[in-house]
Amino acid sequence: MSEKFDITNIAKLASISLSDDEKQKLSSDLSVILDHVQALSNLELDTNIEDVYIHPLEKELVLDQDVEKPSLTHDEALSNAPKASDGKFIVPPSLE
Amino acid sequence: MDLLNLSIRELNNLFVNKKAKPSELYSEVFDRSASSEAALHAHLSLFEETNLKKAKNSDQRFSNSENVGLLDGIPLAIKDNINIKNEKTTCSSKMLSNFISPYNATVISKLDTEQAIYTGKTNLDEFAMGSSTENSAFGLTRNPWNTDYVPGGSSGGSAASVASRSSIAALGSDTGGSIRQPASFCGLVGFKPTYGTVSRYGLIAFASSLDQIGPISKSVDDARIIYSAISGHDSLDSTSINDEQIDMPFDKNATIGIVKELMEDGISEESKKEVDKVINILKQKGFNIKEVSLPLIKLSISIYYLIAPAECSANLARFDGVRYGLRVDGKTSYEMMENTRAEGFGDEVKRRILLGTYALSAGYYDEYYGKALRARKKMVDEFSSIFKECDYLISPTTPTEAFKAGEKTSNPLEMYMSDLCTIPANLAGLPAISIPTGLSSSNLPLGVQIMSKPLTDNSLLNFSEMLEKELDFNRTPEGWSK
Repeated sequence: MSEKFDITNIAKLASISLSDDEKQKLSSDLSVILDHVQALSNLELDTNIEDVYIHPLEKELVLDQDVEKPSLTHDEALSNAPKASDGKFIVPPSLE
Repeated sequence: MDLLNLSIRELNNLFVNKKAKPSELYSEVFDRSASSEAALHAHLSLFEETNLKKAKNSDQRFSNSENVGLLDGIPLAIKDNINIKNEKTTCSSKMLSNFISPYNATVISKLDTEQAIYTGKTNLDEFAMGSSTENSAFGLTRNPWNTDYVPGGSSGGSAASVASRSSIAALGSDTGGSIRQPASFCGLVGFKPTYGTVSRYGLIAFASSLDQIGPISKSVDDARIIYSAISGHDSLDSTSINDEQIDMPFDKNATIGIVKELMEDGISEESKKEVDKVINILKQKGFNIKEVSLPLIKLSISIYYLIAPAECSANLARFDGVRYGLRVDGKTSYEMMENTRAEGFGDEVKRRILLGTYALSAGYYDEYYGKALRARKKMVDEFSSIFKECDYLISPTTPTEAFKAGEKTSNPLEMYMSDLCTIPANLAGLPAISIPTGLSSSNLPLGVQIMSKPLTDNSLLNFSEMLEKELDFNRTPEGWSK
């Protein structure tokens, strides 16, 4: 199990930069956890994934009607932004 | 007058009969919560001024004999992953250390309607991931029964607040036992309602198919009053349900199941003895008792630690340094995101995000997440089958009493095992409650858990209240009783 675990690739997928020490520690922790969950691999399961609900009471998720309702104001939505200007979120460039 | 040890109904009775005022209660509660901070650190923020004004408004309503509810003027502590408008919601994370919520969670809007008062926000394991409240970026919380020990988690701040009488009751959230386990460690009642009966709108999401909000309180009746106020359908939560409650017998016509797998290896003798004590009471009262087996419970930690991290890795993708929270600069947007998440998240949160990312990644989805979902479905079917024979299932709430601070921090898997008894109810969406039963040989509280089938919350509370009267625990930790 742990042989397959490429911590550098997983950290990239999760958008978290890790130091070498962190990579070593987290790889070791995750190997222990993945070995534990391996207990599921021997389980005989006849249920198809299509028959599995996300809601544990097997209810369909209900989406709200698509109608305009009072919501946060523009200023409220920007109130916690680390950087905003002229009513917009400001981010660094996506390409170098 | 000693108001801090009274129940919500007793306090309301004093207010209605003009023998005490909500502002007097609020002052006592505020003094206690402020003075307990040095020893316990249950709270991340306390709201003195705004709430003293609210308490005085409550005084006026009782003075005018207006038609007020049971929660009018009652000071409640709120776990700091539930949004209160214009107050900080930090989730005990550096990521959100300065986040001010621009809106109320639905449970807060509902408590506002009842005129409840908030003492402050309580400490938790970062983003509710943990079982000891040691994973907080703002320092650990200690157990009021013995400050060398943890209060449990992740709602450890809420439990320590109520146990030290720094609030009358509190709200917590429970994804794998985070209400019931700290309630048990602190000698309190902790109730996780049926999935979907309490809206999570405004609760910062951890694992959406498992998260539920519920009360931590001194008595079952207090839990019932709060549950009644916060439950109900909400179109803002797509998992919210509108189904009627199902009535079940809670007298000797009820059949009680003892869960065999939760009375075996890994459970301490003292925890088992508390279950035996409860069973003896039920036998004397003429209840029909039987041992039942749910074999998949043995795999519940494995199922949970694939589903919860997978959902957490998706939910916490929103913390990217763009719209709110911490930002650590980088040359590009991607570098900024990677730097922000490296700095903003603590070790346990990173561990779970990476585990979840792996379980969902191409090539492993079916092997891990898909398999866990199907195993969960099989466990739900096992519970459905058992509930054809039994009305209530009894087990210990926790494998042991509270553990010492630092005891399990270096071994994540050992920490995860402390939720062995509570996780199955989250996986199956069941209502489950922990009630205090007695003290261990180390003078730390122990509790039992009772589960019942979905939508029987009210009957479960009635059954638990009957047991609570027989057990007559009603103890305050030494040093916090007056």
